[in-house]
Amino acid sequence: MKILLTLFIFSFALLASDTPIALKKQILEKVFKNISLNKELVLWCDDKNLLSAFKEDSAFKTAQTPESATLLILNDKQALPKSIQNKAVFALDYTLLKELPQSFGAMFWKKGRPNIVIIAPRAKNQNILISENLDSYVEDAVW
Amino acid sequence: MVKKKESIVFLFLLALSIILVLVYNNIKKTNKEIYERIEKHEIAQISTIIHNIEQYIRDSYDIQDSKKLFTVLSDEVIRNHHEKYIMLMMSSNIKYTYILYKDEKDKFRFLLDASKADKANFNQKFDVQNQEYFDIYKTKTPQIIKQKDIENLYLTYLFPIISNNEVIALFSVDITTDIQNSILNSIKPLENFFILLIVIVVLFMIITILQLFHYFVTRKRVFTDPLTKTFNRNYLEELLLVVNLKDYSIAMLDLDKFKQINDTYGHQAGDYILVQASRIFKDSIRASDILVRYGGEEFLLLIHNKNRDASALELCERIKKNIYNNTFLFDNHEIKVSVSIGLHKHPSLEKNLQEAIKLADQMLYIAKKNGRNRIEIYDEKAKNCDSTLSKDLLFVKEALDENRVLCYYQPIYDHKVDEILKYEALVRIVTQEGKIIPPFEFLPQIKGTNMHYKLTQRILHIVFEKIKESKKEISININFSDLTNQDIEESIIKYLKSHPECAQKVTFEILESDEIDDVELFKEKTAMLHSLGAKVSIDDFGSGYSNFKTVIDIEANYLKIDGSLIKNIDKNDKDYKVVKSIIHFAKNSDMQTVAEFVHSKEVYDKLIALDINFMQGYYISPPQAMLVKSDEIFR
Repeated sequence: MKILLTLFIFSFALLASDTPIALKKQILEKVFKNISLNKELVLWCDDKNLLSAFKEDSAFKTAQTPESATLLILNDKQALPKSIQNKAVFALDYTLLKELPQSFGAMFWKKGRPNIVIIAPRAKNQNILISENLDSYVEDAVW
Repeated sequence: MVKKKESIVFLFLLALSIILVLVYNNIKKTNKEIYERIEKHEIAQISTIIHNIEQYIRDSYDIQDSKKLFTVLSDEVIRNHHEKYIMLMMSSNIKYTYILYKDEKDKFRFLLDASKADKANFNQKFDVQNQEYFDIYKTKTPQIIKQKDIENLYLTYLFPIISNNEVIALFSVDITTDIQNSILNSIKPLENFFILLIVIVVLFMIITILQLFHYFVTRKRVFTDPLTKTFNRNYLEELLLVVNLKDYSIAMLDLDKFKQINDTYGHQAGDYILVQASRIFKDSIRASDILVRYGGEEFLLLIHNKNRDASALELCERIKKNIYNNTFLFDNHEIKVSVSIGLHKHPSLEKNLQEAIKLADQMLYIAKKNGRNRIEIYDEKAKNCDSTLSKDLLFVKEALDENRVLCYYQPIYDHKVDEILKYEALVRIVTQEGKIIPPFEFLPQIKGTNMHYKLTQRILHIVFEKIKESKKEISININFSDLTNQDIEESIIKYLKSHPECAQKVTFEILESDEIDDVELFKEKTAMLHSLGAKVSIDDFGSGYSNFKTVIDIEANYLKIDGSLIKNIDKNDKDYKVVKSIIHFAKNSDMQTVAEFVHSKEVYDKLIALDINFMQGYYISPPQAMLVKSDEIFR
């Protein structure tokens, strides 16, 4: 199953990428389908294009504001309002994952290849359950 | 000829396009080979450098396993030192250089990253997509990954770091497509040039194909009769060049009383009969036979002599029977049609196809004369005719079909009242080039053929229409043989009965010759003309087989004295005496005399002295396309 998921994610990287946004959205969808929060997953993203892509065609609900979302997808930590510092964050940059303690995972490009990292202790702290399908992406710490 | 030329051009273009495609393909191949050589060279170079670095690291720190390597490189100072060192050794087309190791969970992690951009952290996980990363641990040999979808990466070279015969880590070098692109860019103009050449050649090929297609479509149209879908005379002309007459018998087929069908039921019915009859002809013949619409209701059939000698006759019999047994239904009318056929079984005995056609046409004429719906076969043993001018048969045929037959009119002058009495219609054919051909150039050659009576019918039609239009009297020359032709007789009777005012104005000038072998029939035919109200003139009287008793018996209205007696009347005393006798004879027999060939004033004066009734000739007026008026003569 893990191998299948890995192959699926990378096959997206290779084949389904009509646009970088669409590809990013598809990979994130696969990740989010394999995690569960203790509440309904409602997405918000500081990248308007990516948020629109989720809005138009996705299995997930989206929120207009970060306050009404349950999971924030962030490119830039400046976009995170101070009032909701503790909301679960999925970063779109490895440095951001390093800098934001409430970010539990990241999806980014490294050497031209798509990479996914999920930090197990941070996910646990936020009561986020990670399916074993994502085991190959799970890390104990941010290096 | 066009076809041949176009085909050669097409083949040349095809060969050229194949050569160009091969050259283009070779360029592409060479392109690929250049990549491969550069790749090989680049890898060899990288391999040497990496091998040296690997040895240096391993030997410097006594690396025995991956843990030791991890420990050594976890020191940032050592890492930075080696990263700088590696960076210096690498060429400009290398985008990323890094060392990865595989942890106990089979995850690949960065130990060192000498890349200038997108630098990874120490021990950061790296998601790999290719099996080669795993294979290198088994094979312990360098691996090459050809990249297709990663940024501008061309290939990734994986080099194992081996210690104690175990792969403890690997060098990964990502090479960019820069060289590839620069080669591609340098070759691109050449490639584009060949593509352009191929496109141009292909375009020319398409144009040539279209021209060939157009040629064949036009050719089919040119060689096919649009009404009956049989071949037409254009095809026959092509056939003349290639046909081997030894392989064929030929037959001329003509639908009987076709004009009557046209006159009775209309031209649409005529066309319908032609189409249906053609279909029956086609159904009755074999694939190897050739059916040509020769013109009007006349068809030429080339019968292939596949089997026994009798097959041509059998085939003609079959056609005749099938046409006769068929009832043509048009507009609720049941129309019966028959066909007359003239057959020449051995046309190869003739000089050419035209000669054979002429003989078959003569047989057709006999078939018509002998009562129609019959086949007459040419007996080549009895052949004794002159065939030198056979081309005139086709010449007349074409003129009839293309409406190039017309009449000139020469006035016949009444000197006593100084008025034109009437005109003599004289047939002419206008060539395709517009030249006017007089009758002596084609009439003798078609004498006795079916074509002759078709020409007579056309002249009758032209003259009758002229009388109707001008209300003037006009004479028509007609042979006795034409007069005994049933179709011509029926045409004359039908027209003059329906146009009695024309009958009063027409004179049939019958040539007095040896053809009149049946005097009783001759009398019968002239009586028929008289009964219709037409006048009869004996043409060329005094020169040939003049029979005074017959002339008196037929009660001709005019005696036209032969031109050979008139033209020298002013010089030749004997001619003068003969003419004087004829005029005397005519007066005593209640006939009026006409002198032709009046070419000079001397002849004219002599004839007036002899009290001739009427005169015609170039001195009075030459034949003209229009009817000249009395004040236009003697000019």
